[in-house]
Formats: sequence, C-alpha cells, structure tokens
Amino acid sequence: MLPLSLLRTGQGHQIMVELKNGETFNGYLVNCDNWMNINLKNVIRTSKDSDKFWKLQSCYIRGNTIKYISVPDEIIDMVVEEEQVVKQHQPASSAGRGDSSSRGRGRGRGDGSGGRGRGDGSSSRGRGDGSVGRGRGEYRGRGRGDGSVGRGRGVHT
Amino acid sequence: MASTPPTKKESILDLQKFLGKGLTVKFTGGREVQGILKGYDPLVNITLDNCEEFIRDPQDPLSLTGEKRYLGLVVCRGSSVMMVCPMEGCEEIDNPYLTQEESTTAEEEN
Repeated sequence: MLPLSLLRTGQGHQIMVELKNGETFNGYLVNCDNWMNINLKNVIRTSKDSDKFWKLQSCYIRGNTIKYISVPDEIIDMVVEEEQVVKQHQPASSAGRGDSSSRGRGRGRGDGSGGRGRGDGSSSRGRGDGSVGRGRGEYRGRGRGDGSVGRGRGVHT
Repeated sequence: MASTPPTKKESILDLQKFLGKGLTVKFTGGREVQGILKGYDPLVNITLDNCEEFIRDPQDPLSLTGEKRYLGLVVCRGSSVMMVCPMEGCEEIDNPYLTQEESTTAEEEN
C-alpha cells in the first residue's frame, strides 16, 4: 500500500496533519497531489503548544512541510478495495524484456499498471512493477510485476 | 517519478476564487503575512497587495505579538510558502476539543 494512495483514498474524510513546525491541522481532506500538497476544509489549526486555536474555512498546505498525517482507520479497508479494482481494470502488461545471450542483459518498461517481462536471450530475470520497470539477468531469471515503481535485478544461477 | 512530469505541474490550489480577496500566507521559517491576492502562478508564487507581516515575539518566535508591519506589494516565493488560507472565515477560537469532550461525556451520561 502506497502512502499517497492511502492519502488519496482519504479524500473527503477528516484527517489530522502535523507540520514540521509542530502545528496541527484538523479538517476534511478535499484534495491532495503527488507532492502531498493538500487542501483542507473546515479546519481547526492548533499551535505547537496547543494553547491557541484557529478555525479556518479552508487551507492549503505544502507537502514538504508535513511531518505526518493521521487518517481514520476505516480508510485502510477502502484502499484494499481500490487496489483490487485497479488490478481488475488494468491487466498485467509487458514490463520486461531480455535481449542478450551471453551477457544476459534485459530491460523492461512498464506502463502504469505493472506487468511481467521475460528475457529471450538466456531467460534473464526481469522484474518490472509499476510505471517504470527494468530487468536484468544473467543466464537465468524470472520476472514479476506488481506495484507502481519498478526495479530490475539480475540473478545469477 | 515518471508519471508526474513537471509539465503536469498544475496546482491543486485554486487561487482564482481568492483573487482580490484577503489571504493569509505562512512561510517556512515561521513568518506570516496577510494581504490582498493580486496574482499567482502554478508554482504558488503569490503576489499580495497591502501586505502586512505579523510580528512575532523575538524570545518566542512561535507566538504572535499582535503587532503588524506594513510591507506593501510583495511577491511570495512559492517554494517557501507553507500554508495558504483565505482571511474570510478565519478566526481565533477557544479550545474546541475540550468542549467536544465535555459534550460527548454529557451524551454518554444521558
């Protein structure tokens, strides 16, 4: 489970955000992006020492100032559902390719959903799982893809 | 990440609706200013007119003294903007969590 997909799933729910400076923001998560910038509404802002409180209609927080975000427990179940739906709708696509015989070097690319790749030189092992995948193998290998960011590795047998 | 090329850099923050309205901006480092939104860009660089900075206590930079310093027209650099919120509907309040706890215990008693 990716942190940002958890956060995306939390859209519309009440969350608590603590910033690096110790301030906290309690409010409904309206929107978030890949930088963890977030938009909140109906916010209660609390100072670091919890001695001052502000009510804000809405606010935007830059992602890189966030220390952590606490999300309601029920989100976790919803993320699992979402991942299943994504898997159903985006079947595995080719993510790896091997193309050498003696050196056994393969390279693969995934296109978002993750997939599986196979070397054709000497059965190299490639692993691509996500938007970018890469595989490398020598003599023998296997490929597997299942996430969002890929990585490749060669295995010597 | 390859899936988020810089060209796709569109802010989730819609500042259009705040144009000409009062905006509070907090910067990394702790400074806080307030002004009328005159313009912005996708990097959340912000121009504020009639801008005022809230003066903080030199001994305790976390607390505001209530004094202000007039800055005039300023450009806020996006990379150091930490928080943006409209002045409208923004007010200091008493501890809301105490009252919530009290009300929930009261409900439980009932």
